[in-house]
Amino acid sequence: MSVTGPPKTPLEPAREPRTDPSDPRFPQRSWAQRLRRTVRLYRRGLGAHLRAVLEYEADFWLLVGAAVLTQLVGLVFLGAIFSRVPHLAGWQFPEVVLIFAMVVIAEGIGSLLFEGTWRLAWKVNQGELDYLLLRPYPVVLQVMHADVGLNGLGNLVTGGALLGWALWRVDVDWTLARVLLGLVLFVSAITIKVSISLATNATSFWTFSPFSIFAFAMHQVGDLARYPLNVYTLGIRAALTGLVPFAFISYFPAGALLGHGQYAWVGWLTPLVAAYCLGVAWLVFRTGLRRYEGAGA
Amino acid sequence: MAQIEVRGLTKVFRRPEKDPGLVGALKHLVTRRFRDTVAVRGLDLDIEAGEAVAYVGPNGAGKSTTVKLLCGILVPTSGQVRVGGLVPHRDRVANARQIGVLFGQRSQLWWDLPVRESLGLLRDIYDLSPQDYRDQLERLDQVLELGDLLPVVARKLSLGQRMRADLAAALLHRPRIVYLDEPTIGLDIAVKDRVRQLLRGLRADGTTLILTTHDLGDIEDVCQRIVIIDGGRALYDGPLQGVKDTFARERRMHVQLADSGPEHAGVLAQLLPEATVLAGEQPGEFVIQFDRFTLPAGRVIAAVTRHTEVVDLRIDEPGIEDVIRRVYSGELSLADAP
Amino acid sequence: MTGTTVAAAAVRPPLRAYRAYARISARTVLTYRLNFALGLFGLLFQLLALLSIWGVLLRAGNTVGGFSWPQMKAYLLIAYGTNAIASSFGDMRMGFRIREGLVAIDLTKPVDFQRARFAETSGVAVVELATTAGICALVVGLAGPVSGPAPGQTGLFLLSLLPLLPLKFCTVYLAGLACFWTQNTFGVSLTRVAVTNLFSGALVPLALLPGWLQATAGVLPFASITATPAALYLGTATGTEALRLLAVQLAWAVGLWFGCRLIWRVAVRKLTVHGG
Repeated sequence: MSVTGPPKTPLEPAREPRTDPSDPRFPQRSWAQRLRRTVRLYRRGLGAHLRAVLEYEADFWLLVGAAVLTQLVGLVFLGAIFSRVPHLAGWQFPEVVLIFAMVVIAEGIGSLLFEGTWRLAWKVNQGELDYLLLRPYPVVLQVMHADVGLNGLGNLVTGGALLGWALWRVDVDWTLARVLLGLVLFVSAITIKVSISLATNATSFWTFSPFSIFAFAMHQVGDLARYPLNVYTLGIRAALTGLVPFAFISYFPAGALLGHGQYAWVGWLTPLVAAYCLGVAWLVFRTGLRRYEGAGA
Repeated sequence: MAQIEVRGLTKVFRRPEKDPGLVGALKHLVTRRFRDTVAVRGLDLDIEAGEAVAYVGPNGAGKSTTVKLLCGILVPTSGQVRVGGLVPHRDRVANARQIGVLFGQRSQLWWDLPVRESLGLLRDIYDLSPQDYRDQLERLDQVLELGDLLPVVARKLSLGQRMRADLAAALLHRPRIVYLDEPTIGLDIAVKDRVRQLLRGLRADGTTLILTTHDLGDIEDVCQRIVIIDGGRALYDGPLQGVKDTFARERRMHVQLADSGPEHAGVLAQLLPEATVLAGEQPGEFVIQFDRFTLPAGRVIAAVTRHTEVVDLRIDEPGIEDVIRRVYSGELSLADAP
Repeated sequence: MTGTTVAAAAVRPPLRAYRAYARISARTVLTYRLNFALGLFGLLFQLLALLSIWGVLLRAGNTVGGFSWPQMKAYLLIAYGTNAIASSFGDMRMGFRIREGLVAIDLTKPVDFQRARFAETSGVAVVELATTAGICALVVGLAGPVSGPAPGQTGLFLLSLLPLLPLKFCTVYLAGLACFWTQNTFGVSLTRVAVTNLFSGALVPLALLPGWLQATAGVLPFASITATPAALYLGTATGTEALRLLAVQLAWAVGLWFGCRLIWRVAVRKLTVHGG
């Protein structure tokens, strides 16, 4: 008796699977429908976690308030300086506040909408990505919507207020073109921030730590982008421009919008930098996920 | 074409071998040494739709790895896997719609959300209609009694509660194929019974079940086919009854005689030469060991009752556990099956 | 027989027990070097940003608010050092222990909770001090000469460093105690850092703040952490003013220490009566 049965015939190469349009495993959707579904499910996930955070973190007002306080202290610092000097490295007070506000807003949106990224290291370490791979939804989005950081709300409100004030006070000729380009720059800046956060956290696929140490360190580096880039030495400026492009979150877009500084034109490259960062982040995550599938937990 | 087809499936894990500490890490950069562990070795398998297959093996035999390969969350080193005509790790999203998975050691519920929210999110991810969702939930509720669990945050569930909720989560979208990796681990008997009831229901529905477990009670209750693997290789693949008929033929009949004299042992031994008669623990109790294919139980009972008055009797059959245990320990080699 | 041993146990635990706490926490920090370094990262990058900004403003030789470049460098280093001490997330750890109910175990140990935490902080402070010295050397090497202590002020400056550890410890410990009343340890920690940053003068010298903020800082203990040692070092406070500042510092250190003990008693009552 053969215990495992007769030898099996080899399989034919797998056919292209989408042969049957009524196959429920391949729902027929247009790309617009797919996009709507992706966004809708992302919102659903965020909403569920927001409800959990609001219930469990009963003192979330403390967190929101603490975030607001932290940014206000930074503002006091700037105010104190500008009460004594007319400009900082050629930048006026409202312009410096504009740069500061961009970093704060980017931070706020990152914490509010993409906080789950910071849990990736833990998930990789504990092998909790397995289930995510078994659901019909992109793993990277499942990771990112898994948490809501309410300090982001404080940052968003504070940063928004500061941005509003700064835009009102700066000396800029507001044409429709400029406003539209400003919006493009804004979205690009946020994209860069989220991409850097994703890419640095995705390195967790290669380290075995349950903590996002590298990502956190890079995040601290980003604090330097709160102030005009030209206060720093060349080395730091190069690092913040080319290596980890935090400067494209605040300094360069502001420079482009205000037409300020000798490198103002660089700011118009921000959308390109955003596309680049998004691509890098996606590539790092995808490669890391492949590695996870190859190595197992 | 079978629903699940596996040919020459092999998975080799390559782990870097380095000395501990900073020195080791630096040395490793220069002279890279790796250690290869073969978790699954040239596995061939065909599973038809609606079958219930049990995967059994000692720890480290490669059971969980095989399940992960079939699910598509691990990429094979070599070999082929087809599930419903799809290549799992390539057609990930489509495959996700046809399978349901439960890893007993881990939960797929969102930890800080109430169970109801987790199930609601899954409903949306799997694009279930509200009607389908309600119907399925009710169906699952009848066996798993989910009512009390729904408002509880997943973090606060006991192990038994969590397993029930996770089963609901895995089955919400009515998958055709269900993989269960250690679904009853750590559960008390009441919950185990519920789980097995659910699995039997799935079988009745025509769902394909692949079940890995250490608890052989699960197998006897649910599956008709058993695959025994060790060292990444399949040692046996066939009907459960076949394993029992081949290796679990022994029966032990405990008889309690009215007359507690020790001489009955010798008499019984003469009456039943094909059996072995031993003294039991109590006075007047005897144990008769026999092979049920060479000596039907009825004949044994008849022989004993003809000889003397029997007060009590019970027949023990070795569970599949005994067989498996002996296979694990090398006592039984399946290749030597008659 | 039992009478004497019980009486012996009621006496204060020996110093050796606290030294053990200090040793263990120091060793833990050195083992988890990476996490420790990360904790200081925030302060380091703040230092970098401040040095860059003030460098741009002062390098040409002018002064702002009475600070010259060498003086500002000294001020920023003092601010960094005084903030680095006892900064390694003591309140987050305590908050975590409270949230997870692990404090119950600490309560059963035969040591005074506050003193034990202080011992732990002291152990880590040694490591923090060492790294601060390294940072100072680095800054002097890269950014140029730093003002020395004003004439005759060295002794006063060194004196002002003594209450620093208990003072800093108390602020962190207080934040930790707040975690008995709120679940949000991160929120508490963030608030503490922001408030300390502002009112100690770490982020901006108090003299440069608007009047009402300066007045507020005057009635809070945080000024004694950075502003006082800096003022003594740079010679902006001399003679009786210097002695007054030292007295205020000492008063805050003592007052906060006993204030913490009081709040601790309330917290324990809440814990044991109402549960965690």
